Amino acid sequence: MPPRTQPDKAAILEAVVAILQDITRDWEVAYSGGITAKSRLVADLGFESIDIVELVVALEERFQTRTLPFDRLLMNEGRYVDEVVVSDLVDFLSTHLATA
Amino acid sequence: MDRTLLLGLDGATFSILDPLMRDGTMPFLRQLAAGGARAELLSTLNPLTPPAWVSMTTGRSPGHHGVFDFIWAEERQGQVYFTLNTFRDIMCETIWSLVSRQQGTVCALNFPILSPPPTVAGVIVPGLVSWRHLRRNIHPRGAFERLQAIPGFDPKAMAWDFDLEKQVETGVPEDQYEQFITFHIRRERQWFEVLRTLMRDRPADLTAIVFDGVDKLQHIGWRFLDPACAPAAPSEWERRLRALCLDYFRQLDGFLADIVSLAGPNARVFIASDHGFGPTRDVFRLNTWLHSRGYLTWKDVNTADEKAKESITRLIERHFVLLEWDRTTAYARTTTSNGIYIRVANRLGETGVPAADYPRFRDQLSAELRSIRHPVTGRPIIRDVLPREAAFPGRQNGRAPDLTLVLWDHGFASIRDRSPIICPRPVVEGTHYPEGVFLAAGPGIRSGADLGQLSILDVAPCLLRSLGVPVPEDLEGQVPGGLFDAVFSAARPTERGVPTLAPATAGVPDEASALTVEEEETVFRQLRALGYIE
Repeated sequence: MPPRTQPDKAAILEAVVAILQDITRDWEVAYSGGITAKSRLVADLGFESIDIVELVVALEERFQTRTLPFDRLLMNEGRYVDEVVVSDLVDFLSTHLATA
Repeated sequence: MDRTLLLGLDGATFSILDPLMRDGTMPFLRQLAAGGARAELLSTLNPLTPPAWVSMTTGRSPGHHGVFDFIWAEERQGQVYFTLNTFRDIMCETIWSLVSRQQGTVCALNFPILSPPPTVAGVIVPGLVSWRHLRRNIHPRGAFERLQAIPGFDPKAMAWDFDLEKQVETGVPEDQYEQFITFHIRRERQWFEVLRTLMRDRPADLTAIVFDGVDKLQHIGWRFLDPACAPAAPSEWERRLRALCLDYFRQLDGFLADIVSLAGPNARVFIASDHGFGPTRDVFRLNTWLHSRGYLTWKDVNTADEKAKESITRLIERHFVLLEWDRTTAYARTTTSNGIYIRVANRLGETGVPAADYPRFRDQLSAELRSIRHPVTGRPIIRDVLPREAAFPGRQNGRAPDLTLVLWDHGFASIRDRSPIICPRPVVEGTHYPEGVFLAAGPGIRSGADLGQLSILDVAPCLLRSLGVPVPEDLEGQVPGGLFDAVFSAARPTERGVPTLAPATAGVPDEASALTVEEEETVFRQLRALGYIE
């Protein structure tokens, strides 16, 4: 089996934005400017906790792994974070896909 | 394959259905039951929607398929990290892929733990999915657009409403009961319309649907439905609520009649529930009891700063338990598992029970639980306490609680930090009982057969036998003797087949996924030409 190629950050961002566009397609969220690295999942896209769960599943499916430690992105000092910015998500994936 | 229907009624019990069949509320069900076979259907040990439906549709018990609750959780960063169970957490093959691999087609609607949907020959619209994610979780991709063409189709009215479902646990305000019941009547109609459309567009060998309003209504409206709980002189509001509940069941009966009619006279019909239902009268606060015995220490919310307090309040509202982990050895994580997790210190520096002391600790905790008495009746509060390996034997039981409790009235233990430990509920509510329902009718089914009690694990073998698919040898249930008549049994003796496949390798080729309906038809034609499907 050939080694899996590690996507670069630009490719990860492209994939994440595509997933977010697909997820939010029916949401009727009034968010101008399109989804970018600066977009905030909660404040801009209207994410709720259940949507984060769906996003995690979609990302795991897209990147073909279930070993990403999403708690490190979604929790801070034992508490769930209130917001996730797309660029943080891309950084997280970039760091951990390398070792997944 | 012989056309087969599985009509799931989440939480249905004969103690409610029998009176409704007798009094004319459900005439179709009465007719179907009279002309077919019936049995009590024993659910999984913790009679809960996800493990029970997954057991029914895999023919395997939770210790093997690995689904024990709505969620799974792990301790991470000093907090419980939750996530919902998904189809990827089912560690056994389902009947959906089994039938697909045997050149059959399936249509499965509103079954829990079916997202992200597996690749099968047919259509899957999973349950337990918010409308915000329904489009993406339907197989095949593109089928959502077909559903949108159904007059009146409204994903918001059909899909799972997490906020509304939370109310079932926390209590629906009485002034919202009518709205709640009406919502579920409309919701069942949405699912029915989707099924009717799919049955016309693309008839499947195995057509299956879950109507889960039965469970919801019985949770909040048990006292309006159970003749034993009926008040001697009901108020106008109580009379109205009962009438609304009956209207739900009357409409449900109509949906069942139409579905069976649409399937045609040669179809075999199976009606089954994932668990039964009955009354619960007391609240038992399990974590409060564990705290009183020194097993658990609550986090002191008052010492947190304002921002943290807001976060903590939100977590408590979402039913998280907030504990001082280094001073907690045993706790209950969810309101639905009736399970206790023991914190084991496996490595140096970890807090919890030393691994070597685990057996003694668990036995002691179990004995203490068994000794809890009801403050008024003096009877044991807990019928049974089962260690993991006894409750859920199997290779996948690592996610199961260390101890699983069966309460005296089958209620679900509260996990909240409230007092007292035991108290009466303000009103009688409905809760999950182990004894569900099984009805079967159609060509070859023995008319008037009473099969006594079956296991939920027997349903998958029954469906496969009906379809003409060999029953894999690793399925734990069996086709009950006496279900089929002598002519059918002679013509089609039970055939045991090769074992199921691991989920990762089951299903039809990936080419069938992510396609529009038209594209999928093309793929099916190609597969047929290759002899892969009929």
